Amino acid sequence: MATPELQIPEGWKDRAPDGWDWQPLWEAVERGHNEFTHDFVTNAIETDIGPKIILDDGLFPGFNLQGDRFSEQIILIPEMLITARAMKAGLALIRPLLAAMAEKPLGHFVIGTVLGDMHDIGQSIVTIMLENAGFVITNLGTDVHPDRFIEAAREQKADLIGFSALLSTTVYYQKVTIEELQKAGVRDKVKILIGGAPTTQEWADEIGADGWGKDAIEAVKLARTLVEEKREAWA
Amino acid sequence: MDNNLTLTFVTADGDRTPVKTESGTSFLDSAREVDIDVVATCGARGKCRGCRVKVLKGSVAPPTIMDEVQLGPDEVHEGFRLACQTRIIADTEIMLAPPQTEGGHQILGGGDDASRRAGIEMGSGVEKNFVTAVIPMDEHVQSSDIEEILTATGASQSGPLSPDLLRKLPAVLRKKKGAVTVTTFNGNILDIEVGDTTEHKYGMAFDIGTTSICGSLLDLDTGEQLASVGEINPQSVYGGDLMSRLAFAQFDLGNLRKLRARAIQAVSGQIKEACEKADVAPEHIYKVVVVGNTAMHHIFLGIDPTYIGLAPYSPSIRDAVEMPARDLMLKTIPNATVCMLPIVAGFVGADAMGAILATRIFESEEIRALVDIGTNGEVIMGRKGKLMACSAPAGPALEGAQIKHGMRGAIGAIEKVYIDDDVICETIGNAPATGICGSGLIDAAANMLKSGVLQASGRLRNKDDESLPPALAARLSGSGGKAAFILVYAEDSGKDEDITLTQEDIRQLQLAKGAIYSGILMLQRIMEVSDEDLAELQLAGGFGNYINTASAVAIHLLTPLPLEKITYVGNAALMGAEMALISETERKRADGLAKEIEHVSLAARMDFQDIFIEAMGFPETKTDDPIAKTGT
Repeated sequence: MATPELQIPEGWKDRAPDGWDWQPLWEAVERGHNEFTHDFVTNAIETDIGPKIILDDGLFPGFNLQGDRFSEQIILIPEMLITARAMKAGLALIRPLLAAMAEKPLGHFVIGTVLGDMHDIGQSIVTIMLENAGFVITNLGTDVHPDRFIEAAREQKADLIGFSALLSTTVYYQKVTIEELQKAGVRDKVKILIGGAPTTQEWADEIGADGWGKDAIEAVKLARTLVEEKREAWA
Repeated sequence: MDNNLTLTFVTADGDRTPVKTESGTSFLDSAREVDIDVVATCGARGKCRGCRVKVLKGSVAPPTIMDEVQLGPDEVHEGFRLACQTRIIADTEIMLAPPQTEGGHQILGGGDDASRRAGIEMGSGVEKNFVTAVIPMDEHVQSSDIEEILTATGASQSGPLSPDLLRKLPAVLRKKKGAVTVTTFNGNILDIEVGDTTEHKYGMAFDIGTTSICGSLLDLDTGEQLASVGEINPQSVYGGDLMSRLAFAQFDLGNLRKLRARAIQAVSGQIKEACEKADVAPEHIYKVVVVGNTAMHHIFLGIDPTYIGLAPYSPSIRDAVEMPARDLMLKTIPNATVCMLPIVAGFVGADAMGAILATRIFESEEIRALVDIGTNGEVIMGRKGKLMACSAPAGPALEGAQIKHGMRGAIGAIEKVYIDDDVICETIGNAPATGICGSGLIDAAANMLKSGVLQASGRLRNKDDESLPPALAARLSGSGGKAAFILVYAEDSGKDEDITLTQEDIRQLQLAKGAIYSGILMLQRIMEVSDEDLAELQLAGGFGNYINTASAVAIHLLTPLPLEKITYVGNAALMGAEMALISETERKRADGLAKEIEHVSLAARMDFQDIFIEAMGFPETKTDDPIAKTGT
């Protein structure tokens, strides 16, 4: 397998002011230094660099490098999480600016951890990656009752719903949530993705989910495919 | 050569081999001259404990610095030395491979008699009275056997009497013309026996842990321990860690019954074993105090634990529970009352309550932390008047599970690792290595960090890295997620393969130690306690005793405190149960404390994720890194 390398955006110098250097930011995101990232992005915004440029030329290279390493299992959750946190610090600053530019999103994704489960670490990585990929996310947080998934899906006219369960005692509620979505008549209007450490493809099949994300990278790939598939239309 | 001194080697079996040797020769060299095998793992450099001996007779040279480092002041004081470091100066007798004073790696019992009784008010609540009751004779007096006994003893029965007691009463009372011993617990009659049995008053304390169950048989009058027993929790076949066992019982009462039956069987078996060891009749056990984490507590009582496994993880009962042993199907001890200590909240169960009693943290003037390192770790922090607790789910990695070559602390497990230019491993029993146990894992990680094999990010260094000594670089293989570091080569191991520590193992360790450390960090943050404010950090639990504290600090499993502030308290949960067994004052105290202690739910805290990330990392060793300085 090829060792992932930093993909330097082509022609970034032409899009930045004279003497500007993104290198420290690439490294900071890669190594997960969120305060440094925050300060650097703030400075970039104040220097009038466009938000899309900050995102593509400044934040993504380091993040993608770690993402590639993550999917090759060169790094694991702890380091991915640290990078995700730094990415989040940068995104928080430029998201309002990006929103003002109003690009058409890939789809609406409602995400949460099932009832009875308070864990959100994996889920927050998935959230950031989906956001980066161009999805609009409604994150319901942890310990989410099936009714709240239903409600949020209706409000957002969601394309996808994803829920994770991190405990062997809570995976049961993934099944319950799908059953409730069915009863509420929402099931066929959305694609359902599940994930979490104790889950498997077999479990996903058993409870009738549309996809199972082994990890965050896999989840994003699946979301991209599933969003293209046919569903019942929202009224 | 002037061989004028006699060095006598004594084996553990008592075999003696005298050797004539010259003054100034090391014990090890003397042994080798006559082909006596002494393990010297480190090559006689004083860097391991392999050649540890005990001086039985004769003068011995002052300890070297290596003796002190390897054996510690206590052992040195007791006459233990390293054979490679110690030179003969007079006729001497030494014992080869003396037993480890830590007692090897068996399941850990509670406290010793003195510390159990220190500073507590004795009084188990169990009374035995030898009386001669009047046997009802006169037809005209309205009386009964039981009324005569109550009159004779002055007891005030408030609860119901057991049917078995009533059934045997007529015969017992008349056998020796009314001479009976009446046993009461807090005033209620437990048993009535023929003749005087007041000398026999016993009780048992149990800690039902996820991994192991251990018990202790005590004399209720003196508090003296008569027997101690322990075994692996036989529920383990239904899931090694707490959550998988809860999932097994979830929504399935049949499975709950299976789990419960195994716990009851184990406890019954241990009662029998302890009674045989101490030559005590099981009928003379009157009080049993049980502690255990919330899940074990519920399962033992047969309460559905389903909802303990789901947020907000609330138990069905927190208060202390008291019931006759027969109601729990503990038929071996028909006269006993079983008392469960109260639960604090969530996963901070009756075992934590026991540890709190044992360590007296509620009496402390200074801020202390009590850390129980287990599958489900617990952290208690505070001082008199203000205590907080949280549970930290570390998972079983620290017990060797989910680690490629992981194993329990048994013969052949690597327990100590030394790294300078190359690696030296010490195993339990000095046997060829077959795997690594939790304490070895921590030691290995700490020394791999120090030597640069492992980076602060948790990544193994590349095998081509030129900054590493060649012998260490040669032990690295693979890259990325497949990287591994060889601790013991196949030819030296007890298996046909290299004993390695893989990149994935390191990640598992990070998750486990991160859980424990984030529990400590979270309570520090909430209570606004700096590292300097912590007067002491006490390590409880069977596993805590075997951890090298310097290594635990070096990998940030524990708060980086000066090592003298970190102490071992052994199986404090069981010791607390023992205290509640011999002292009703202590048992009642637990009820109050359980309500006072503030429980923090880690997962429900917004800042948990940040703290967890911080806690998962290893300390940065490089300080010349500009980004690291500005980062977190």
